[in-house]
Amino acid sequence: MPGAIAVEFPDLFFGGLWVTVQLSVLGLLGALVLGTAVALTRVSPLAPLRWVGAAYVEFFRNTPLVVQLFFLFLGLPLLGLRFASDTFDNIFRAAFVGMALYHGSYVAEVVRGGLLGVDRGQIEAARSLGLSYAQTLREVQLPQTFRAVIPPLGNVAIALVKNTSLASTIGVTELLFGAEIVESRTFRAEEAFLTATLLYLGLTNPLGLLVNGLERRLLVVR
Amino acid sequence: MRPDTWAMFTDPAIWRFFGEGLTQTLELSVASVALSFVVGLAFALGRLSSRRWIRWPSTAYVEAIRALPVLLLIVYFDIKGSSLFRPLFGEDFELPRFWAGVLGLSLYTSAVLAEIIRAGILTLPRGQTEASRALGLSYPQTMRFVVLPQALRLMVPAMMGQLTTVIKDTSLVGTIGVFDLLRQGRTIYTQFFNPIEVLLIVASIYFVICFVLSQLSRRLELGRITPEAKVRMTELELRDQAA
Repeated sequence: MPGAIAVEFPDLFFGGLWVTVQLSVLGLLGALVLGTAVALTRVSPLAPLRWVGAAYVEFFRNTPLVVQLFFLFLGLPLLGLRFASDTFDNIFRAAFVGMALYHGSYVAEVVRGGLLGVDRGQIEAARSLGLSYAQTLREVQLPQTFRAVIPPLGNVAIALVKNTSLASTIGVTELLFGAEIVESRTFRAEEAFLTATLLYLGLTNPLGLLVNGLERRLLVVR
Repeated sequence: MRPDTWAMFTDPAIWRFFGEGLTQTLELSVASVALSFVVGLAFALGRLSSRRWIRWPSTAYVEAIRALPVLLLIVYFDIKGSSLFRPLFGEDFELPRFWAGVLGLSLYTSAVLAEIIRAGILTLPRGQTEASRALGLSYPQTMRFVVLPQALRLMVPAMMGQLTTVIKDTSLVGTIGVFDLLRQGRTIYTQFFNPIEVLLIVASIYFVICFVLSQLSRRLELGRITPEAKVRMTELELRDQAA
């Protein structure tokens, strides 16, 4: 019985699962805020702002998340930057920042795609009716973008949940690290990893179903 | 920044060391992509099969594996890989770590590629299959001569995109003791206490490779592609590339 081992080591499996959930939720919120902001810079009329946004997206999308995590965890303290004085708080926050930065670049691309997907004529119509740039963005572009980006954002969220496992490489005791500790104590690799697998499936599969459901509901025929 | 931490990079030995790591990274990527493509193609066809006993297990494989973190699969093969293959290769078989990494990466990537290939096949108009069947071609012939040549061309951008993901994911094998680019970098900075400099260099190397590949994949628009197909392929790319 794969589940049985979870009851033997509840703090490693369920405690780890809880850390995974926390990291996923916080990381996703961070990525959404950052990604939306960056997407706005990328459609802005100011060229330098667009360049900064593009540089951020390309850099974070094209380097491995682990490298970014190692940098946040080992590099920044050398520059005198720590996320917290406590070591465990520091690595958790470094992992959170890493999740937000890396997935923020994917969110930015999704939101930019959504913004550009709004028919140009609508924006021109709104501007000629006397709405300001900000009003057009808020009243016309963003509400439509929101509908279009929900399904692809769901996919980024699923990827994020899976990627929280990389936080184990810098020492965050999330679900995968918990399973590895159990394995090293008991040598029951099958049970430990199968249990972790089932717990991950329990997180990602409902999310996948939710995304598919939303996809069907929000489908707008343009 | 501390003044003397860049001086060491004038030594060619350091670059040879990085080079060895980069070679491992590239070898891992190529081996994983090749293996994943073969397995992925099999599962894509399996998922499209009209026989339930083929379709259901294929669907289960693809959906379950795609929902898992790659690192979990890599770590699993590192720990259990040797004993999995002992019935085949004898009692004292030890799975090399490189291959544990390849298996972990391929297991995951094959599921992703299976979805990309399936999407590519499904975007082709049904009339093509019907016409070739009506002309007397068998199902395997239809696949081989009509469907796959077109579908694979359609998939080239998505596949190239997936290649960059695999290259990024190979950085995880350092955790099981394969000396890839990142792991070589880690060895250097534990010696010289300069993680900032080393990680910047390592990140730049990954960046150059992945950036060039992703730009290429964007430029490559082979075959005719309907807007719906394009949306579907981009969505697939998004879901699995962030991984």
